[in-house]
Amino acid sequence: MNSLIPLYVVIPLGTAFLTIILGRWFKAISKILTIPALLFLTGLTFYLISQSPQTIVYRVGGFADLLDIPLAIFLVADGFTNILLLIISVVGLLVALYSLDYTKRFSAEEKFYALLNLMIAGMYGVVLAGDIFNLYVFLEIASIASYVLVAFNIEKQQLEATFKYQILGGVSSLLILAAIGFIYWTTGTLNLADIARQLPDANAFQIFVSVLLISGFGLKAAMVPFHSWLPDAHSSAPSPISAMLSGVLIKAIGIYVIIRLFFNIIQINPQIALTVTILGTLSMIIGVFLAIGQWDFKRLLAYHSISQMGYVILGIGMGMLILANGGKESIANLAITGGLFHMLNHSIFKALLFLNAGSVEYITGTRSLQKLGGLSNKMQITSGSSFAASMAISGIPPFNGFFSKIMIIFAAIQAGYYWLALLAVIVSIVTLASFTKVHKYAFYGDLPSKYENVKESPFSMALAMSLMALLCLIMSLMIVPSVRAIFLQPAVDALMQTTNYSSIVLGK
Amino acid sequence: MIDFQMLIIMPIVIGVVLFLLPDNLKIIKGVISLLISAYTAYLSVMVFSLPHQFIATLGSINWLYIPGFEKFMDLKVDGLSKLIVLFIGIFGFLYSLYSLSYNRRRAPNSEPNHIPGNYHTYYLITLGASFGVALTDNLLLFVFLWGLLGLTLYKLIKGHNEESSAAAKKTLVLIGASDSVLILGIGLLYICSHTFKISDIHLGTTTTLSTVAFLSLLIACMTKAGAFPFHTWIPDYTKDAPASISAYLPASLDKLLGIYFLARMCMSTFILSGWVTLLLLIIGALTIITSVLMALVQHNYKRLLGYCAVSQVGYMITGLALGTPLGIAGGLFHMVNHAIYKGGLFLTAGSVEKHTGKEELGELGGLCKYMPVTFAAALVFALSISGIPPLNGFYSKWMIYTGIIEFGSGKGIANQLWMIWLTLAMLGSSLTLASFVKLISGIYLGRKNEQIGTVKEVGFPMFFPQIFLAMLCIAFGIFAARWVIPEFFEFTGIGSWKSLPGLWNAPSVSIMILISIIVGFIIYWMGTLKTSRRSDSFVGGEKLQQELSFSSLEFYKTIGTMKFFNYFYDKANKKWFDVYHLGKECVLGLSSALSVCHTGILSTYVVWVVLGVATIMVLLII
Repeated sequence: MNSLIPLYVVIPLGTAFLTIILGRWFKAISKILTIPALLFLTGLTFYLISQSPQTIVYRVGGFADLLDIPLAIFLVADGFTNILLLIISVVGLLVALYSLDYTKRFSAEEKFYALLNLMIAGMYGVVLAGDIFNLYVFLEIASIASYVLVAFNIEKQQLEATFKYQILGGVSSLLILAAIGFIYWTTGTLNLADIARQLPDANAFQIFVSVLLISGFGLKAAMVPFHSWLPDAHSSAPSPISAMLSGVLIKAIGIYVIIRLFFNIIQINPQIALTVTILGTLSMIIGVFLAIGQWDFKRLLAYHSISQMGYVILGIGMGMLILANGGKESIANLAITGGLFHMLNHSIFKALLFLNAGSVEYITGTRSLQKLGGLSNKMQITSGSSFAASMAISGIPPFNGFFSKIMIIFAAIQAGYYWLALLAVIVSIVTLASFTKVHKYAFYGDLPSKYENVKESPFSMALAMSLMALLCLIMSLMIVPSVRAIFLQPAVDALMQTTNYSSIVLGK
Repeated sequence: MIDFQMLIIMPIVIGVVLFLLPDNLKIIKGVISLLISAYTAYLSVMVFSLPHQFIATLGSINWLYIPGFEKFMDLKVDGLSKLIVLFIGIFGFLYSLYSLSYNRRRAPNSEPNHIPGNYHTYYLITLGASFGVALTDNLLLFVFLWGLLGLTLYKLIKGHNEESSAAAKKTLVLIGASDSVLILGIGLLYICSHTFKISDIHLGTTTTLSTVAFLSLLIACMTKAGAFPFHTWIPDYTKDAPASISAYLPASLDKLLGIYFLARMCMSTFILSGWVTLLLLIIGALTIITSVLMALVQHNYKRLLGYCAVSQVGYMITGLALGTPLGIAGGLFHMVNHAIYKGGLFLTAGSVEKHTGKEELGELGGLCKYMPVTFAAALVFALSISGIPPLNGFYSKWMIYTGIIEFGSGKGIANQLWMIWLTLAMLGSSLTLASFVKLISGIYLGRKNEQIGTVKEVGFPMFFPQIFLAMLCIAFGIFAARWVIPEFFEFTGIGSWKSLPGLWNAPSVSIMILISIIVGFIIYWMGTLKTSRRSDSFVGGEKLQQELSFSSLEFYKTIGTMKFFNYFYDKANKKWFDVYHLGKECVLGLSSALSVCHTGILSTYVVWVVLGVATIMVLLII
């Protein structure tokens, strides 16, 4: 089973290259290859999760350790990685399904799929990589693919967005690379598990490196004040790509790495935990207030991504704070579970919302909420699934967002962070208000006369949206303890037992 | 043993099944929904007929058979929840019957009547969730079902134009916001008491935490039931929602559940301190007066009813706030009565709307000849809500008044101010009468508007619920002391109520009223034989001008022109008292302030990043 792990990187990379090479003669190859590849990886992920909670370590090349120094490139899949694999696979698959009809209007369809596969390969690589330099390489693969995809329509707005995205992405790479350099300087190793062993106890230098890492990956995760690239990039990309960027990319290459580094690799430290929590809270509040004023459907969603990532980081940051301060483990458990659950939920409902926005744009040709209206009768699947996603993101039962929201708020109250709980409540109210705004302007009200004859989006788009809406409901079941034990608990355990990572991975 | 879980599970499951059926099977869906609501009504009567002081845990639902799930699913029945369940069952059935006919189009060519899609699905889910809210003993299940009700409320109004979609938005935002506050309150309640079991929680409102918890839960109740200042969604909602839904949710179920939870909080969960009582009384009095003043000047009759529905909540809160058995029983009795007559009023309004297509008072008139049954029912409801003896609305208000007087003998600042509460409550009652004079005369009396085509009486499915509720109004009024109070409100501890001053003997008074009406008729007939005195015609206490046909719109315009009131009406029109509007202004202001910073200039953004990194560095390292 161990040997299946590299497939996560090999299959999408292979698909990408085959698509480019063969696509020249055989256009349909991109679609024929992408869907089965992602379907297989989704199946594999569910298989891995059913095998949990064991941690799988694969040494690429099979090199043995030399003088206690791990030489091989490690691919590690533990409980926490599995959650990310699940997100990437499921959202990737559904987005690819949606794209089948959506991309028909592009002239270079096969390049779209090649880049999508490249981005997915990069994300799989980041979450699986067991050493920090390969993590960086995969991160760049995913980022560069996303730079191109954001500009895929090659219009003025897209090019401007991707330019900003690249510049700030470059800044983030600089920060990350500098931090990696400093880590190598102090520890003499790049292997994550080995770094965890070699790093000295907390000192000023280590905090300096930590801040570089937080800022670098925080830029990728769009935490305030590093969020400024996101609204442009996420709203300009083609909608399936926006769904991937908001639903998956910022989690896989931003949040995941921050959590992994500061729980398992670098010793938990109250100052860092506090910084992460504060950044999360800031993102949560500033993002949502910026979002509610937007009139561009996708821009509004993009700002909500900042806010919701803040929600996730708030949950996990509180868990980190409680652990660092030696608080009750059960409360930390609740906070982290809430954060991870919200991350899982967010990937589904935010991806769905972008797909809805894409569907509306596909049919009507506009993203401006002021020009839309009355579509609920004309586009029942789009409006219905968008309703499900909106209620999920606003935390209205019975959708999944309600349960993760309630977990985070309860955790904040139990840990004694009453003000954070209050802020979380306010954010969820403003979120609700801004999504009722979307519904009022896009789907309710009077239908502009030029849209009298519009129809629902094509089949594959409608199918992908319906499936995701169904997921928004089904994922509520993760609140049930027995289901939670399969999906979420291994991940929470992997984070809670902070020091176990290196010993398990290195096998000693 | 009856399978009580079915009360909750069956409507929800069948509702989901109906969702999957195609939408053009509306009639079949309606019939299924009627059958289900009839069955749950039967079950709810069975629940109610459990022995008097029956308090029991009904066991738990675990129909998913998932281990670890049953601890969230405790159900419990006591006097209070029995009462609520019974009336949810009755109303669920009656309105389902009413919708059967109401939802059909008037005529093939007429404009669509804006019934939302999947009406019956959301109707049934609402029914199941409401039973669940009343029966559950676990706060987590409670908050889940309570939130579900907000969702169905939103889906049961169709946003077919700008105004109705704005109303839907406002409703969901206010209800959803209160649900979030409820979550906060439940979280606080949990750390105060370490349990989610409602029946195990008994807290004082002395510490900060428990007081904040109480206030959070109070906000949820006030928004659901519609009390000042969180009531503003109700008038907007009732104006644009189908009348059956206005009767079902804002008028009946939301009141029952909101006040149910408030009563639960006041009776067992919390021990109210003096200033909390004072706060509740202020809320109650403000709600009574402000909303009835707004009702007086409305032109749309469904909106007028919406404001009155808010005003009556004030009486319930006042009653509950008193904390005495008499006050609590009075408040709960008023809740039941209100659900009956206000539901009935919305049904009659729906009948009028369906048969005339008009929603403004100015466009109607003279319908009493054409819709005599609807008129009679509406008259009974209107008299009842205005507190005219011997109808039920009078009796519950009477109980609340005597409750206030009795409360006045106690010590404490709220007790000392009893005169104020009493005056405001009685003033509110008389203003309610005034607004219903406007409503009744505007719709049913006067001259028929030429623009209205032929109007005929409604068919049986709409006719029966109206009559049934009107009969209930009369029966609950006349037999209040003998039968209703001992039968329904024993659990409030009102056993010794007979010794209280101001006893009202309804049956004998009713007979006297009946006799006086008959005597009045005899005198009238005798009087018409001789020449009678002529005077200028006046209606509702205001002299009519030269116009031949009077317009009910002119009623009480004088209030609006008075200087003192004018100021407030002016501000109310500018939405100064609307929490939703105030919140919206704040949020949008903050939003535009933040947007200004996002210039879109790349170099600024890079500077932010650098400053961000530098700030964190400086803060952490130094």
